[in-house]
Amino acid sequence: MQRRTFLQGLAAAGVLGSMPFGFANAITQASSVSVDSLPKLEGDLTLYLGRGEGGLYENVLEAIKKRNPKLNLKIRRGGSAALANTIVAETRAGVKRADLFWAVDTGSIGVVTDAGAAKSLPVDLTAQLKDGFQYSSWSPVTGRVRTLPYNTQRVSPDQIPDSIMALADTDLAIGWAPAYASFQSFVTAMRILEGEKATENWLKGINKNAKKYAGELGVVMGVERGEVDIGFANHYYTLRLKSGKPDANVDLAYTKNDAGCLVNASGIVALSDGDLPVNFIRYLLTQEVQSYLASEAYEIPLVQNVAQPQGLASLDTLSPPQMDLRKLADLRPTLNLMRKVGVL
Amino acid sequence: MTHWPKSYPLAFVIALLALLPVGVLFALAQDSAQLFDTHNLRVLGNTVSLMALTIVGAVIIGVPLAFFTAYVQLPFKRFWLIVLAAPLALPSYIGAFAMYFSFGRGGEIENVLGITTPPISGLWGSALVMSLYTYPFVMMTTRASLLSLDASLVNAARTLGLSLAASLWRVVLPRVVNSVAAGALLAALYALSDFGTPAIMGLDTFTRVIFVEYNAFGLSQAAMLSLQLMVIVALILFVESRIGGASERPGKHLSLFPAAWQRNLMLLSAMPIVFMAIILPLGIFTLWLVREGTGGFELSYAWNSAHASFLAAIVAVLLAIPVAHAAIAGKAGRFMERITYFGFGVPGIVMGTALVYVGLQLPVLYQTLGLLVMAYVLRFLPLAVGSVRATAENIDSGLVKAARVLGASPREAFVRITLPLTLRGMIAGAALVFLEAMRELPATLMLGPTGFETLATYMWRVYEAGYFGRAAVPGLLLVLLSGLGLVLMLSGERKAQFTVTEDDRS
Repeated sequence: MQRRTFLQGLAAAGVLGSMPFGFANAITQASSVSVDSLPKLEGDLTLYLGRGEGGLYENVLEAIKKRNPKLNLKIRRGGSAALANTIVAETRAGVKRADLFWAVDTGSIGVVTDAGAAKSLPVDLTAQLKDGFQYSSWSPVTGRVRTLPYNTQRVSPDQIPDSIMALADTDLAIGWAPAYASFQSFVTAMRILEGEKATENWLKGINKNAKKYAGELGVVMGVERGEVDIGFANHYYTLRLKSGKPDANVDLAYTKNDAGCLVNASGIVALSDGDLPVNFIRYLLTQEVQSYLASEAYEIPLVQNVAQPQGLASLDTLSPPQMDLRKLADLRPTLNLMRKVGVL
Repeated sequence: MTHWPKSYPLAFVIALLALLPVGVLFALAQDSAQLFDTHNLRVLGNTVSLMALTIVGAVIIGVPLAFFTAYVQLPFKRFWLIVLAAPLALPSYIGAFAMYFSFGRGGEIENVLGITTPPISGLWGSALVMSLYTYPFVMMTTRASLLSLDASLVNAARTLGLSLAASLWRVVLPRVVNSVAAGALLAALYALSDFGTPAIMGLDTFTRVIFVEYNAFGLSQAAMLSLQLMVIVALILFVESRIGGASERPGKHLSLFPAAWQRNLMLLSAMPIVFMAIILPLGIFTLWLVREGTGGFELSYAWNSAHASFLAAIVAVLLAIPVAHAAIAGKAGRFMERITYFGFGVPGIVMGTALVYVGLQLPVLYQTLGLLVMAYVLRFLPLAVGSVRATAENIDSGLVKAARVLGASPREAFVRITLPLTLRGMIAGAALVFLEAMRELPATLMLGPTGFETLATYMWRVYEAGYFGRAAVPGLLLVLLSGLGLVLMLSGERKAQFTVTEDDRS
């Protein structure tokens, strides 16, 4: 059903394209590109689709395929890290199989760009993205914010500090998923922003009141069930849970200007030359795809002038820390630290 | 039987092939920094505890059920056998998942029935799930061995005044110890290499740490940890090889005809296991199916699963025959056989990575069905070897000698005597490989042709996306198809049994 809405959206965009200029403009609000203005995709294209967590990417790919019948799109799915490792191994062995790599975490992107496998992207493409998300060798697709989901029955919002570091000094029962990639990226950000020592103390402080979960969906479910007061998780798990269960006992709190509200991104890398991979990326940055991912998967659109998902504080009111997201690939010291503290 | 058994060269090549991934691991671990730290001790403790508890659990459940299914005559015998072997058709991560969501506060049991149950998690939770999904290994190996025992010894013990229970304990059990050990070995290796169950239950084991390292791009560290895991595997293999049982001639089957109430009591006591391992996960799936509906599923996934697993089963059995015969022929052969067991202890993601490197050296093979089948074979070969060896061991060598004396060439003796007599083991082994390959996930993701979707990969896909309901149809299909494999395995067993002995009572 969701897929159908999206397909209709793409079809409707075609109709809108023939309408008076002003009207189409009012819909797309200035500069984000409509799918209708893009060239048709033709030929063979292999995409490595890496995920550690879900999304509605499949529906997007399906819709792009439907719209471009001459495109022969082959998809290899796997964990982001597994595919990044595979691409690095392929690059070393000189065997080329993938044209594109779409990954949920910037760490995997960093590994691939560091290996020199990425092709640079044209300036007019990167210019479509919001400030702070423009990179020459890869393109962010959608973002996710680190949030504090809390149980509305057990905690009131004013009990929650707006500094992530201060949370270690509270006696709230905390749910976390230390083995989870997004959590480790968040600790990496904290390490870069606050330093090793502060991060180590923070981990120790949290660990005293913490219950471990396998993943962050589990954390959010644990918070909702009341097993813990508050948790660490990417924003969309809470929004998705609430969309299926509107009376769920969970809501989102945000910290200010620290790793606690880091905006991380899923991103795509072109691995082979030519127009086809680049044009494929353009499709992902269209108004239609971006707002679809925002409304259905609750991911944050990173293209300029596309509306935020419902239920999330707007990106303007959030104060995420400024940093090059590829730095998050530097996981090794983070793992050593977490291990030293005994949380991993 | 001349100096060098004919099976040796082939077994040697296969053992080398099985060592290939270990070689790649060594290469990858070269630029690793840390060998061992204190954290690893805790992980080691967890891993060994889980393995030990799994062995205990699998044996406690598996051995009595083996006796029950082998000796007790009851209506719908075959049906009960299939039901009791059915956990083989379910991946343990599905069971772990279902149990995690069923029990505890806010679980599905509480949602539906309003009864709060204690949560299942941690070491005990993992051990429970592992035992529930590995006991069929013990049950099947023990049962196969029980069926080939000569019942006259029990009869003798009974006439000499020993009670039935005591004679089973003192006369039968000691003779099947090596089969129990073989099954326990498989259960232990499964517990060592499984990733999903400890991850869902929140237990830090080697596989989980390897996975964490792997995802942090610490490929060499992951390889190093895998090698440490290999050391444990080697220890287990060594311990198992010390346990030996005497081989003996097959004879008349033992059949027990207990009273109806005794029979029902035995069945009843097996029901909690069936409930936890089969009915609960299937129930949860059905619940989700009803609640969320289905979508986006294609039947071709089922075909891909079955196709690849079938090929793997055939190849594995073909390779298992020389290895099993080498193992029986002598010490060196036994050693080669042990080597092939390494694959079962290698976590799928590590095997996948290793074979990516192998495949990249042979780009023709890379990302083809062939490489995927090779990965399945390397991982699950021990299942086939174990079954084939167990039946081959019990062949009366006098039969082959008699054939040779009567003028048959070694080849003819093999084709007409040995082969038919080991058919049961081959079919059972093929089916085991088939079932395992059907539920394999990480290596399938990494090695299959691009766009090759199986039931397991599709389930993973929708699970990752949080659409549990959509996992219901492929989950149920996986169980159904594996169930067919199971039926095939058990019916093949019956046919073979008929040709092995004239006794067709069962």
